[in-house]
Amino acid sequence: MDTFITWLQATRLSQAIVYNTWVWPACETLHFIGLALIIGSVGFFDLRLIGFFRRVSVSAARELMPIAIAGFALNLSTGLVFLIGHPEQYAHNIAFWYKVGSLALAGLNAAIFEMWVGARTVHLAAGDDTPLSAKAIGVVSIVAWFSVLVWGRMLPFIGNAF
Amino acid sequence: MMAWLEGTALATWVRESPSLWAYPTILTLHTVGLGIVVGASAVVDFRLLGYARRVRLVDLSPLFALMAWAFLLNAATGMLLFMADATTKSRQPVFYIKLSLIFIALLCTFGTRRIIRAGNPDSGAGAASPNGARLAVASLLLWAGAITAGRLMAYL
Repeated sequence: MDTFITWLQATRLSQAIVYNTWVWPACETLHFIGLALIIGSVGFFDLRLIGFFRRVSVSAARELMPIAIAGFALNLSTGLVFLIGHPEQYAHNIAFWYKVGSLALAGLNAAIFEMWVGARTVHLAAGDDTPLSAKAIGVVSIVAWFSVLVWGRMLPFIGNAF
Repeated sequence: MMAWLEGTALATWVRESPSLWAYPTILTLHTVGLGIVVGASAVVDFRLLGYARRVRLVDLSPLFALMAWAFLLNAATGMLLFMADATTKSRQPVFYIKLSLIFIALLCTFGTRRIIRAGNPDSGAGAASPNGARLAVASLLLWAGAITAGRLMAYL
């Protein structure tokens, strides 16, 4: 791991990120905008799965997902900039690994929804209640995404990232 | 005044306590609130711009209550964060830019709420009114600006 970190830090890309001092604050700003896009759109869909906003059909609520994907693409790319720029401050930071774990949980949860639960819910019309499995997916998703946010925000305080 | 504020027991605790429940948790709650306020607002704004047209605008109105609670959370945590470094933050131009952007963004939010509440509840699939679309663009840009100004407070 440490050999990889040293190699990464020596790459031209990593050094460009560090030496151009505007890159870091610019990517942080985009990362915060992306997090709002994810929380808003995923959160709304999760609340519908849990049983709120019943006047919206599940498939209509799902039409907000491109916003979530855009937010995720933004945060994945800016997150990679942070990782490539200063890999040393994440690799041994427990908060970072909790964040990665929370992301994995959110991803696994979404995959379970897509493969099994989704088929039982997308046809639900306005007014229909959701099955327990969908409610569980919604709760896990909200908890996982807020957990991603919390561990990310805690990176400077639990570890030594900035 | 700012020095006094910064010297209060509460401000000192926020700033100097080594506990993760002090500054780090307050800052994290401020980010949680940001996600809810700006995220919910973005959902309404994108709908006003014509995305997810099968969602009826009127059905989004409970989001405004959610935004209000999250905004209160951020007003409270924001005041605590300000107190902790009152002398520095009160001298940062970007801090006043942030507050102004939030103020105008809130005016847009009240505007979109009025449009949504005045709308015919059955007009679900229709395109957004030009007025609604303009407000939505303004709101998206203003909140993005407020986030940018807030983030730059750590750098300027």
